[in-house]
Amino acid sequence: MTDDEQERSRPSQAMGNPKDFDDSPERFRDENPDARFGGASEVLFEQAMAQTRMAICLCDPNKPDLPIVFANKAFRNLTGYDEAEIVGKNCRFLQGPETDPEPVRKMRQAIENEDVVVVELLNYRRDGSSFWNALHLGPIYDSEGKLKYFFGSQWDVSDVRAARAEEHYAREMARELSHRMKNMFSVISGIVNVTGRMRGIESEAQEINDRVQALGRAYETTLDDASAGRIEIGQAIRAILSPYDVGESHLRLLGNGIRVPFAAVSSIGLVLHELAANATKHGAWTRDDGLVEVDWQEKGEDEQRVVEVTWREKFGPKVTIPADAKGGSGNEIIDRLLRFSNGCIDREWHEDGLVAVARVPIWKAS
Amino acid sequence: MCDSEGSCHVLLLEDEPMILMDLEFAAEACGCNALCATSVKQAMKHLDSERPVRVGILDVNLGEGQTCEPVARELERRGIPYILHSGDLDRQNETVRSLNAQLIPKPANANHVISTAMECVGRKCG
Repeated sequence: MTDDEQERSRPSQAMGNPKDFDDSPERFRDENPDARFGGASEVLFEQAMAQTRMAICLCDPNKPDLPIVFANKAFRNLTGYDEAEIVGKNCRFLQGPETDPEPVRKMRQAIENEDVVVVELLNYRRDGSSFWNALHLGPIYDSEGKLKYFFGSQWDVSDVRAARAEEHYAREMARELSHRMKNMFSVISGIVNVTGRMRGIESEAQEINDRVQALGRAYETTLDDASAGRIEIGQAIRAILSPYDVGESHLRLLGNGIRVPFAAVSSIGLVLHELAANATKHGAWTRDDGLVEVDWQEKGEDEQRVVEVTWREKFGPKVTIPADAKGGSGNEIIDRLLRFSNGCIDREWHEDGLVAVARVPIWKAS
Repeated sequence: MCDSEGSCHVLLLEDEPMILMDLEFAAEACGCNALCATSVKQAMKHLDSERPVRVGILDVNLGEGQTCEPVARELERRGIPYILHSGDLDRQNETVRSLNAQLIPKPANANHVISTAMECVGRKCG
């Protein structure tokens, strides 16, 4: 038997011991001779009041100062008061020094207008500790439509509020971090540019900056996901490549929904940046109708798991295979980067553009 | 709107000195005269000087809770176009939204920022 059932099966002897609380229908009927419960309603009322974990009370609007005339066991458990301390009092006895007057005002207004209202307010238990009470309040009428009671249900939402506050804090932190990171990348960019101008190496500075900024864009997308540990690579790919897609019709992203470790984001990000920079200089993006399709898939099992990124240029200028296929600082960066992360890249020069397939391991023992 | 020497004055408001310097260089490379400010007060001073500002480039968040809004409002009042240059697209959302101006998210290439501002006043850059 649960406590509730024991409580319910006990005969009405509540007044003998103030700690015992009698929420039986008999007791309610004794004190409220006008109220009628019969048949299913009686069973429902008895069992529901005793079993529900929802703290419930009824207040009588036909008596001065709207006193509580009934409160169930959950109400006693929630507030820590004995029944004798509850019945006869106005609900405001649960309020305390930190209770916001605004929800109290709303309640008062709802009572005046016989409206239903839900408010959250800080209430106090018998021992002085406080809890956040999500209070639902509404009128109950008899069969003649006469106002009989106000019904109040209260639910301790302290945990919910704490979780909400924590989530809010985490979101604020992520925003602040995002802001500072963008600012930092901006400052780095400024340093590189200014140094480049001073030293008369502006195009080199620009090249450095393009890489720094591609990385910045890739990292930016990881912030929202940081708590999850793994990053949705699609967002990072979109962030890196979209600035190259002038007019938004030269880039087609085909992949969908793969999560990769944080480290893979920077490798893939920088590889894509180099491919994009190259396409802008020599490849498909030198043409008005040039197109690049990028796809990403997860391949292999366990230790063999890789993310496979396919870069396919179309409608580009007729390709002449570079004599030094691995040449160019961009290509060298790609090859070295991928070597560090145990990845690899295959390049094929088709008639109308480069097709490159890069593979980066994403296996992580867990 | 350009003064007798024919140079075009650009108001740059940015609290980060390196970014400001980068923008200043880019503006100069574009043949403009940069009026640099790191605070609302300085920017207002430039606006009250003799030199006619043709266009403004405003960082939204200027630190310690200060935003570019007063400067933006003043530019609006005078009918001078401006663009916003900000890394903080979320937190300052309400400020940004209330200002009817093009926004370039940071980090952005300084030349790109300047040439975008120049397009606002129908000038070509570089």
